[in-house]
Amino acid sequence: MAKNQDFYTLLGLRRDATAEDIRHAYFEAARRLHPDKNIVPGDTEMFLENQEAYEVLSNPKKRIKYDLTLPPEKPADNPLDQRVLFSRQSMIRMAEPQLIYVFMEFSHPAGIQTPPAPSLNLCLVLDRSTSMGGLNMDVVKATAIQIMRKMKPQDIFSVIAFSDRAEEIIPPSRSSDLRKLETRIHTLQTSGGTEIFSGLEMGYNGIIRNVLNAEVNHIILLTDGRTYGDEEKCINLAHRASEQGIGISGLGIGSEWNDGFLDELASCTGGSSMYVSHPQDIQKTLLDKFTRLGSAYAEENRLDFKIPEEIELRYAFRLQPEAGVLSFESPMMLGPIARDTSLRVLMEFVVQPQTAQKNDITLLDGKLSVTLTGEHNPIDPIPINLVRPYSDEASTEIPSAEIVDALSHLKLYRLQEQARLEVSAGDYDQASEHLHRLATHLLSQGERGLARTALLEAEHIKQNKSFSQQGRKEIKYGTRALLKSGRSTEEL
Amino acid sequence: MIICPNCQHKEMSGSIYCSKCGAQLIDMSVATHKIHTAEARQVAQRDTVKNVPPPPAHLQSWISLNMIESGQILPLADRSEFTLGRSAEGQPIVPDVDLSPHNAYANGVSRLHAVLKLIQEQIIIMDLGSSNGTYLNGNKLQPYVEMPVAHGDVIFLGKLKIQVLIE
Repeated sequence: MAKNQDFYTLLGLRRDATAEDIRHAYFEAARRLHPDKNIVPGDTEMFLENQEAYEVLSNPKKRIKYDLTLPPEKPADNPLDQRVLFSRQSMIRMAEPQLIYVFMEFSHPAGIQTPPAPSLNLCLVLDRSTSMGGLNMDVVKATAIQIMRKMKPQDIFSVIAFSDRAEEIIPPSRSSDLRKLETRIHTLQTSGGTEIFSGLEMGYNGIIRNVLNAEVNHIILLTDGRTYGDEEKCINLAHRASEQGIGISGLGIGSEWNDGFLDELASCTGGSSMYVSHPQDIQKTLLDKFTRLGSAYAEENRLDFKIPEEIELRYAFRLQPEAGVLSFESPMMLGPIARDTSLRVLMEFVVQPQTAQKNDITLLDGKLSVTLTGEHNPIDPIPINLVRPYSDEASTEIPSAEIVDALSHLKLYRLQEQARLEVSAGDYDQASEHLHRLATHLLSQGERGLARTALLEAEHIKQNKSFSQQGRKEIKYGTRALLKSGRSTEEL
Repeated sequence: MIICPNCQHKEMSGSIYCSKCGAQLIDMSVATHKIHTAEARQVAQRDTVKNVPPPPAHLQSWISLNMIESGQILPLADRSEFTLGRSAEGQPIVPDVDLSPHNAYANGVSRLHAVLKLIQEQIIIMDLGSSNGTYLNGNKLQPYVEMPVAHGDVIFLGKLKIQVLIE
């Protein structure tokens, strides 16, 4: 073994690697270095060293003993831990398109001191249309006041209310005279329709003034209705916001709002979309969101990339911290990396058959720009190059458990996506069949309530040739929420 | 291409779950047959290096099967697809290539075990959900997953060793 090398570095592992990581690293190395295959002199020795390393590390008792003999780990100076897993080690030379999944994880390295909580520049854009009246508005007001009280002295807070037009209830300010501001929120009355753009624009104009005075800039939009005719303007605004480092998240209340629109608004800025069916959930959802904004370790994480012609990025999904579909085009706004929760992304690529004989194939070539909170020196963009070799031989390896787990939950979300597409294409039988399949999987995972909703929707589609507003959102956000409860989000 | 064993939907190679019915398409059980694997690999290497008989040139065959146990060579011709298996009495299913004379039953060959296809100059093998599995150069194939085969490759249908000779 080379000097300064221990069993962990030999296998390319971190000291806190899980048993699964160790097993995977060992098998990969073993495959590469196996005496039946290797050509380079010295490989056999490395193979035997790997075997020795695996024997020690795979045995918990031996591993603890061995760990004690190691010198303390050098402090990592890399501000970001990253991990990339592929669903297969190589692509096969064949005359058909093939699929590969890539799992990427970025996290706050354990060795690096946690910076102080980032300063916020937060704007709540509240729907005050007539339909929000009653309990919804009361809960929203109470929650807005709660958030205001939780603000740190350096944080900037603003509130916009909109119906047919927008009104600045609290101008962007650091909390000074709380009581006066609270009264302004209390006196909010509901009336009129829903024109989201007017509210969003006013919120944006307020937040942009202070964009350099805070580390996390975010707009949270609350609505319970559809906006008519100004969706495109809103999306354009969201793109502008995203370029300025402003995130937008949407909270939809009840069943009438446009979820596709809110998801898009969120995904083009790296924000998140949320759904509550009952007013009593508004408070928890909003406070959770607020806590998450305040626990960002890195913000404005943006992946600029190029994809070769023969490759298609068919799907990109953020598994955590907040599950949601990402943009499939460059730039991809990934959303924040939290101090305590890593950012996990899963991508699905289709590789078309190659005409020229190549030894490897680039799936994606890009760079990840990251802005660390609490750190004023910008860090260099991190190159992200996803390359796989070609081989003639099919491998029989099993994809890593993390990818399979993530997909086992993601497939449910994608089944409902398909059903939606089929309904809009007029293929009601297919849609209903997909929902039946979804229900079967949900039942087998113990999700009886959601399974029932899926079955009712399957019936509804057969009879009415459309989803019910409520059911369609419950299934979408219900299957999305399953991603969080999956094993993939736990430390294995 | 992978054919979903549950709903027969066609999925691309590399898929992990069926996009139509959500069935898992990969076998998560850790691969067994380690000795088997090494053995097959040795056979494959030995035979590729030394005793590859030239494919019979007089026939219009695109592929021949070298039955390693008996040394017999079965040329396959006139079609672009052959199912391999064994015939059984009273069974309506008869494979294109009946391996019964080669101790198929004792070697654990299923009635419809695997299929060899010629697709655009590329020869592929696919296991048809056989009981004892198909191995290509010692690697177990996923059922209904097509894999390219090359001249000299060794296939195991259950325990029956066959070397592929390609024209």
